[in-house]
Amino acid sequence: MPTITIDNRQVEVDNGATILDAAAKLGIEIPTMCFLKGYKPSTSCMVCVVKVNGSDNLVPACGTIAEEGMRVESDSEEVHQARKAALELLLSDHVGDCIGPCQAACPARMNIPLMIRQIAAGKLGDAIATVKKDIALAAVLGRICPKPCEQACRRTVFDEPVSICLLKRYVADLDLQSANPYSPACKPGRDKRVAIVGAGPAGLAAAYYLQIDGYSCTIFDDHEKPGGMLQYAVGEQQLPRDLLDNEIALVRKLGAGFQGTTRIGTTLTMEDLRRDFDAVFVAIGKLELGDAESMGLQTGPNGIAINNRTYETNLPGVFAGGGTVRKRRLAVRAVADGKEAAVAIGQYLSGRPVTGPPIAFNTRIGKLKDGEIEVFMAGVAKGNRVTPSPEGSGFSTRQARDEAARCMHCDCRKPQSCKLRQYARQYRAKPSRYKGQRRSFVQQLQHPDIIYEPGKCINCGLCIQIASQAREPLGLTFIGRGFDVRVAVPFDHSIAEGLKHAANQCVEACPTGALAFKGKNGSTGSPSRANSRDRPQNKHES
Amino acid sequence: MDELDMTFVPQAVEKIGTGQEKVLEILQAIQGHYGYLPKEALELVCELTEITPASISGVSTFYSQFRHRPAGRHTIKVCIGTACHVKGGGQVYDAFKRQLGIGEEEDTDPQKLFTVEKVACLGCCMLAPVIQIQAQAIQIDNITYGHLSSEQVPMVLKDFLEQQKAQAREADSRDYAKSDKEVGQIRICLDSSCVASGSGKVYEALKEAVKETGAKIKVKSVGCTGMSFLAPLVEVVTADGISFRYANVMPADGKAIVLRHFKPKTIKRKIRNTISTMLDKILTDEAWQPVTRYSVDVREKPVAGFLENQVHIATQHYGSIDPLDLEEYIHNDGFKALQKAVSELGPEKVISRIKLSGLRGRGGAGFPTHLKWSTVRNSDSVKKYLVCNGDEGDPGAFMDRMLIESYPYRVIEGAAIAAYAVGADEGYLYIRAEYPLAVKRMRQAIEACRQRGFLGSNILKTKFSLQLKIVAGAGAFVCGEETALIASIEGRRGIPRLRPPYPAISGLWGKPTLINNVETYTVIPWIIRNGPQAFAELGTAGSKGTKVFALAGKIARGGLVEIPMGISIRQIIEDVGGGIAGGLKLKAVQVGGPSGGCVPAELAHIPVDYETLNDIGAMMGSGGMVALDESDCMVDIARYFLEFTQNQSCGKCTFCRIGTRRMLDILERLCAGEGKKTDIQELEHLAHKIRNTSLCGLGRTAPNPVLSTIKYFRDEYEAHLEGRCPVGRCKALITYSITDDCIGCTLCAQHCPADAIEMRPYQKHEIDTDKCIRCGTCKSVCQTDAIKVD
Repeated sequence: MPTITIDNRQVEVDNGATILDAAAKLGIEIPTMCFLKGYKPSTSCMVCVVKVNGSDNLVPACGTIAEEGMRVESDSEEVHQARKAALELLLSDHVGDCIGPCQAACPARMNIPLMIRQIAAGKLGDAIATVKKDIALAAVLGRICPKPCEQACRRTVFDEPVSICLLKRYVADLDLQSANPYSPACKPGRDKRVAIVGAGPAGLAAAYYLQIDGYSCTIFDDHEKPGGMLQYAVGEQQLPRDLLDNEIALVRKLGAGFQGTTRIGTTLTMEDLRRDFDAVFVAIGKLELGDAESMGLQTGPNGIAINNRTYETNLPGVFAGGGTVRKRRLAVRAVADGKEAAVAIGQYLSGRPVTGPPIAFNTRIGKLKDGEIEVFMAGVAKGNRVTPSPEGSGFSTRQARDEAARCMHCDCRKPQSCKLRQYARQYRAKPSRYKGQRRSFVQQLQHPDIIYEPGKCINCGLCIQIASQAREPLGLTFIGRGFDVRVAVPFDHSIAEGLKHAANQCVEACPTGALAFKGKNGSTGSPSRANSRDRPQNKHES
Repeated sequence: MDELDMTFVPQAVEKIGTGQEKVLEILQAIQGHYGYLPKEALELVCELTEITPASISGVSTFYSQFRHRPAGRHTIKVCIGTACHVKGGGQVYDAFKRQLGIGEEEDTDPQKLFTVEKVACLGCCMLAPVIQIQAQAIQIDNITYGHLSSEQVPMVLKDFLEQQKAQAREADSRDYAKSDKEVGQIRICLDSSCVASGSGKVYEALKEAVKETGAKIKVKSVGCTGMSFLAPLVEVVTADGISFRYANVMPADGKAIVLRHFKPKTIKRKIRNTISTMLDKILTDEAWQPVTRYSVDVREKPVAGFLENQVHIATQHYGSIDPLDLEEYIHNDGFKALQKAVSELGPEKVISRIKLSGLRGRGGAGFPTHLKWSTVRNSDSVKKYLVCNGDEGDPGAFMDRMLIESYPYRVIEGAAIAAYAVGADEGYLYIRAEYPLAVKRMRQAIEACRQRGFLGSNILKTKFSLQLKIVAGAGAFVCGEETALIASIEGRRGIPRLRPPYPAISGLWGKPTLINNVETYTVIPWIIRNGPQAFAELGTAGSKGTKVFALAGKIARGGLVEIPMGISIRQIIEDVGGGIAGGLKLKAVQVGGPSGGCVPAELAHIPVDYETLNDIGAMMGSGGMVALDESDCMVDIARYFLEFTQNQSCGKCTFCRIGTRRMLDILERLCAGEGKKTDIQELEHLAHKIRNTSLCGLGRTAPNPVLSTIKYFRDEYEAHLEGRCPVGRCKALITYSITDDCIGCTLCAQHCPADAIEMRPYQKHEIDTDKCIRCGTCKSVCQTDAIKVD
């Protein structure tokens, strides 16, 4: 029974136990990717490396047997740097997008691919929840958004982009017209109050998400009605006012108060707000001369000066966002600002460090090579995009489903359970640190339930072990040597023939998105257990 | 396509066996028969044996020897070992592909006549650049061509096809007179220019001598196309296909040549040895233009010059002992050491003598030999194994090959003593696939030893038994790593595993296993016979005895040398190797191959010993030593070695698999003149991470060639960053042009393979830079030195 020290803490372990076992006993978390309890350590990913007895050579904790008197460092800068380098190397050879190009281009980071799959599957209730998680004014944006997502849509390489904005409008309109429009459950009240100055898209969005998070908001605006430029600048033709009012009503339904014809600086002062409220969010749109000064806020070249990550202004507890902090004023950016500022304000009010919303880690394939678009198109509906008629109207259900079927599912099927993504974020790995020739994007779709993308494989070999233990007649094996090693089914057979009964188990063991459930019916996972690990993204990650 | 006849497969399986560990041998047999591995054959193997589809696919795609698509009728193996690389092997490879019209992604010409492959090293570094052509038809010999340049490629192909026809005819005629088996052949050129220099008389003298000895030797006149300063040139090809060539032969030498190679039963050994020494003077390695052909395998002869610096322990009786003559070996104290060990010393004393000798592993890392031995000895297990690591894969190294080919009995005796000392009764000799002659000789030697009671049960009438088997590797450098070697013997992909446990505790099939390198075993008999002190007297404080080096590159006299530890690198290069050939200065010596580093000329005074070499960023490695001169680009050398290790990485751990690839990306960028400011820094960063975090020795030492060249030749890296290759070696960074010295002879235009030079008789020629492929052909054919490289 050897006793070893990890990060200056002693632990006694069974004979034959590994450093990883010993760390677990101490509650020290060591990242692992290629290791899975119950299987032979492959000691290949090198993400679990630790330093032993001061040696320059780091060793993998998963396979190194604990020996009496060992001194292990698992938390030093050197160890962290090595793990980070391992992750960056793996990422440099990773062909896949964690989030779809459309979502990455959306200022609000709306999970567009998920929404589209939910529409395709007819799960409109799920779809509106997906939209509203990031876009508080979905029906409005469905009409006036400049659609950066569609410019980024990869389908453009093949023919025309998916009509994302109209799909969103379809979801939002149906919801708004329904008897019981989507209204998310709010957290219990927290007894903290937020003053929101400006009832435009940024202010409304901030109010929406703060109310959901349990803060009570009061929105002040110098106009009589809420909506800001949506109410007073956008043409009625483009944005019917009853629709705007209905969507604003959903914000107010969550409990947000509105006080019109109140100008901060004249009717009420910033001091008043700071005295009466626990935090203030300034979203007054285009700044007019003297606005900032009257509130005691400093300005920069783009408007009110803020910390770009946290939306904090020079005054403690006062945040600002939307058109008032930017030169280019986009409604979708304003909605995104409101959502993100709400996160920062929540952090501020609950006494946590104010860091702003977490940045979702993302790897990108980037520009496609010849022939790759055909891989993406395999199994996807061909045909140009659906145009509603008359022009300017929305999709019918049939049209929406047809259009949704055009999405190529560029996003990863395991964005939440992928360990590479998880540790890359944790260790702040940069996906483009090492640039090199990229291998081709390949998908194997023959299996009815699972999909295999070799470009995302880290060669841990767990699936090979599982297939072998399951006595698969063909199973899986490593093919080739060195940089070109790939996991494949022997004799060029398909993944369906290789994994006749161990497929589910392999998907669950796979540390990345290389093996994943195909995800029918609008969810990201299959009806099996993997679903619970890959449920739609939670609020703080988008 | 016609369906392949699969009847061979069950026959092969029947003969070889059905266990997992037989997979390499079965695959080798199938490839030998079909020329590649047909999928149907592999599927059939899975039905007939314990081997699973996953296993056979994994193994057959791991080793570079195996092909999965049909090859051409003949395979051209272009060596890209270090010596060949620095002498233009890459250009020769390009020239073959160009000549045969083989596309970039292809390896076989459209007529399916030739397949062109790169091989890591043929172990014929003294003939660099060298290629070997393997005819698919089994009765035709492999032919090796050496000292090649790209413009000779068409002639090589022509020569090979003619040879092949001639051999086929001979094979046919041999069938008529099977009893009349030839024991060799003597070839002499009888062209007019050679006759003029006296070859006619030599021919007569040779025929006369053959008649006297009564041997079945054919004295044959062969075509020759030049090289008059060597004429009369005589080539002797012995029955096992080894070729010896003698230059400036006099009629009086005829008899001596015949006697040396084809001994009549009556002649005394001593006389023969005298003849050998006498003839060494006229043995030649000079190029025989336009193409120099060698039969089957060319043996590296030990470097004879400046003998006083060499000490022959592993290579004792060099050049005078018949490799397979067991009587001769015994006569020269052979197996006395084994006798002494088993009947006089006993295991403990053997190990204590090895300890006293200070012997450290000759495979590269220098681990004290006795420690391994005692660990295996002290283990409780009843079953123990011995392994001889002959998977010499370093480009630029041919020590193991030469030791096995020349002294197979010594290797066996050393291994037997080791097995006795540690208590192993079963052993495996793992020999590289690229060394067919070594495998063949060792097989014969083992059989001879078994018949004489030096192997098998109750060796020398004691209780000691040892069964030795040969495993032929299949082309994977990483199998030189001991845990990968074990995996390979067990019939798996040659993937290293985490140590501990060390093989001495848990090795082959989980049993304690002693693994030593060929050279380590080879010196054991000498130590036991002469006593450990005699060995320890040689060398330095930490590195005792001698070390065998394969000396190659830009050296006047290369070959295999055995020197006492502690003499300086400069002594080896200058005194033993005769200095740099070609008038340029020594720039650096690459020691230790892809795991080692470059010792710059200003540090050439350092002594050869494990620690000193490590301290300056090189490594003893297994003993490759390649001299580089001022025309060699150090960034290119670093790129070359990294390309090698990257290609040989097993692909298991992240740092080696991807990290070396990323380092290579940077080096390729530098050599292409597309470097970025941070590249040198990034190389160093990656190198340190890979060194400290890779799983096995291959990965941990892979950055050495890069780190050592950055350390000593940083200015060259910086020049590449600025888009300059100071020595004009990196293709992308140089331009060829023609100076006013051009006399308009049109030779360059005639030879240019890219049509980049227009033929303009009696006028100054010009090179179209856009068409120029920078192959250097024009420069090598120009007789007025009018080609300039910037």
